[in-house]
Amino acid sequence: MLPEMGAAAIRTSQLTKDYGARRGLFDLDLQVSGQEVFGYLGPNGAGKTTTIRLLMGMIRPTSGSAHIFGMDCVRDSVEVKRRVGYLPGDVPQFGSLSGGEVVAYLGGMRGGVDTRRVHALAERFELDLSRRFREYSSGNKQKLAIVLAFMHRPDLLILDEPTGGLDPLNQQEFYLLLREARDDGATVFLSSHILSEVEHVCDRVGIVRDGKLVRVAQLDELRHIRVHNVELEFAPGETIPEQQIRDSDGVESMTVSGQRVACSVHGSFEPLLRAVSGSRVVDLVSTEPSLEEIFLSYFKEPKPKLLKS
Amino acid sequence: MSFVLGLRLGRWGIAGFSVAALVSAFVQTAGFYQIAGHTAAERTAFGASMATLATQFVALFPPPIRPDTVGGYVEFRGIHPLAILFGVWALASAMGFARGDEERGIVEASLATGTSRIALVASRASAFVAAITAASAAAGAGFLAGVASGHETVELRGLIEDLALLVAVGFSCYGIALLVAQLVPARMAAAAAGGVLLALFLLNSLSRVFASLATWRWLSPFRYYDLGQPLPPGGYFDTRALLAMLGIGALTAAGAAVAFLRRDLGGALVNVPLRSHRPGYDASPTVLWYLPLARGLYERRAGLVAWTAGMAVLAIVFVSLTRTIVNVLLSVPALLPYLSSFVHQQLYPAVLGFTWFNVAQLLFAALAITYVARWSAEDDDGRLEIALSEPFSRAAIVVERMAVLILAALVITAVSGATLYYASHAEGIDLNPGRLVAASLMLVPFALVFAAAGSLLAAWNPRAAVGLLGAFAFASYLDTELGTIFKLPMWLQDLSAFKLFGTPLLTGIDGRNLALMMLLALAGLGSSILAMQRRDVGA
Repeated sequence: MLPEMGAAAIRTSQLTKDYGARRGLFDLDLQVSGQEVFGYLGPNGAGKTTTIRLLMGMIRPTSGSAHIFGMDCVRDSVEVKRRVGYLPGDVPQFGSLSGGEVVAYLGGMRGGVDTRRVHALAERFELDLSRRFREYSSGNKQKLAIVLAFMHRPDLLILDEPTGGLDPLNQQEFYLLLREARDDGATVFLSSHILSEVEHVCDRVGIVRDGKLVRVAQLDELRHIRVHNVELEFAPGETIPEQQIRDSDGVESMTVSGQRVACSVHGSFEPLLRAVSGSRVVDLVSTEPSLEEIFLSYFKEPKPKLLKS
Repeated sequence: MSFVLGLRLGRWGIAGFSVAALVSAFVQTAGFYQIAGHTAAERTAFGASMATLATQFVALFPPPIRPDTVGGYVEFRGIHPLAILFGVWALASAMGFARGDEERGIVEASLATGTSRIALVASRASAFVAAITAASAAAGAGFLAGVASGHETVELRGLIEDLALLVAVGFSCYGIALLVAQLVPARMAAAAAGGVLLALFLLNSLSRVFASLATWRWLSPFRYYDLGQPLPPGGYFDTRALLAMLGIGALTAAGAAVAFLRRDLGGALVNVPLRSHRPGYDASPTVLWYLPLARGLYERRAGLVAWTAGMAVLAIVFVSLTRTIVNVLLSVPALLPYLSSFVHQQLYPAVLGFTWFNVAQLLFAALAITYVARWSAEDDDGRLEIALSEPFSRAAIVVERMAVLILAALVITAVSGATLYYASHAEGIDLNPGRLVAASLMLVPFALVFAAAGSLLAAWNPRAAVGLLGAFAFASYLDTELGTIFKLPMWLQDLSAFKLFGTPLLTGIDGRNLALMMLLALAGLGSSILAMQRRDVGA
């Protein structure tokens, strides 16, 4: 089957993999555009790797469909994989083969791999390909997996928690490599439970929990929707309207210390501002939440609402 | 806790070997009553023919005592082969603990709980002893059930002593394999331990033929196993031999624990320091990696060389044994008319064809099983997943695996066949070159039948594939051994590749049998492709 012209890089429709006992992935509707870097966030066991394996055609969906560049991930899996670079969540074990032999073996299966590109990637990450895989540290094994995913300049990179085991310097190098790939026209689908990683490189983020996509948003949008941490300082001798603040819509976790009030505000600031409008406020600080806090606020909810982007 | 973990990790082996032991002992025992006759004269004649047959297996098993009795027959046909089977199990189990679990991080996790290395070795060795005791008990149960089916009774003491010998020889093999695995790098551990056990086995068994080896056979635990045959009436049991085997097991396991204390996890006791070298950033330039099929052979080049060399050496050993066996046969006056009328000028080829190609069949079945073990491991260690991330269909993966096995089998059979031809020629035994080529080539479809079955099992349930394929091979062997005794339907006997192989060195290739073998292989290949396409990988 020929790929659709101008098709989304990734498109899933009601994609479901049901392992039973409410485990798996359910009704995933997702679209990732070309040249987009899409972060796929979720705690362990949320369904990230299941999604990725469905996209790679490793496992068959119970229902629904997944398409990459307009091609069906099961039916056209060989054509799909010509255009995909894949980094699995667990680095495969290659025993006594050297790194260079692993690259040659898989490069030979793919065909047409640019050896200069391999050299450049290995040199960039200081990965000695003449050493046996068995002798590699976990970081070096991860670097080898990165080389394997990027060596053929794929149109789409599907990366399952790609920085596990990398030291901070190599993480930065990896983020740079991702940006370069995007600038060269590649699309990236990256799963992670490290929010700072997503903050570094992603354009959009999907959050998955218990096998369901609970939110898809632009990074900026995600930062602004839910909660702010607010600190107010009232003038000396001023009476604090404690009860009015506490009764305001969206205000939670209020604490009072001297003339200072700290609270978190969900949604609009207006009720809080109305509550303090008759008082002399000398300082007001609103802190933007980190992605980490957004993430935690989602997963603290016992039953998150299903939101659509 | 490590003891329980050892049993848990080895549950497939325990179940598989116990079932194999139970079935084997029962079938051989019940089979005795089918073929040995019921009168004293019939049984005496049967015993004499078994004793003659045993001379052809002198390089594998000790001569039987009282094969005219159920105890003597089952000792020879059922229990001695089990001792070899348990030796293989001991090797696999020791490698699984010493290297497999270490690579998977299980050993590291166990040590992190505060378990000492010595305690870990002791508990895993104890778990193996418990496992092999269970499997030996299963063999005993099979024997007793078979004896009951013949409405006879046997002395329990002899049986218990026999099973104790099985446990002891298995334990000694486990200890030796465990010790060797500590000394050498992980990638060489299985080959080194397997080589040592094979050498010890051959040292003892060949000492029955070559007197010069008798001086050294005390080194082999199999020598002490030979010193007891307690199952038949008038058999003997040597307590010191039993203690010697248990002592070998305990001492080598203790040596392995000490070596384990002194080596790094993942390393060998004897370490070659890494040479300083400039880091390399290039893919391997070896062109074979980039060629379909060649890459599969090249990746397993060490194993291929070992198999080829090993088979060639065995061919030479069998040629050199042929004259001894024939001399024994010719010394039996009752056999002379038969030998002169039926095999006439072909006595040497007949004996060589029977002994060599029987062993070659077993070894090619084992070769197929090692390939299937590798396919299963690729599923477990993520290599299949990464291979499938390349633009390669699942069918292509299955076909390439089988094609690599065919090429490997061709290389091995070509070298061993040529060696057999020239070695026999040097001994003055002239084999028909055309028949030898045909017989050697028949080993390839033979291996293919097992590989195809294994491919299907690996696609269906990779974790159980090796155990199930071993059981399939065992059942096939029993099928051909006992099919006529139990009057199994012909179609069932034709499912056994051992039966379909025939006697091509003597009678040439049977076209029907070859076609059936190819049909079985193609059916297995086709269904394994279907199973592979429908299954989840990495889930």
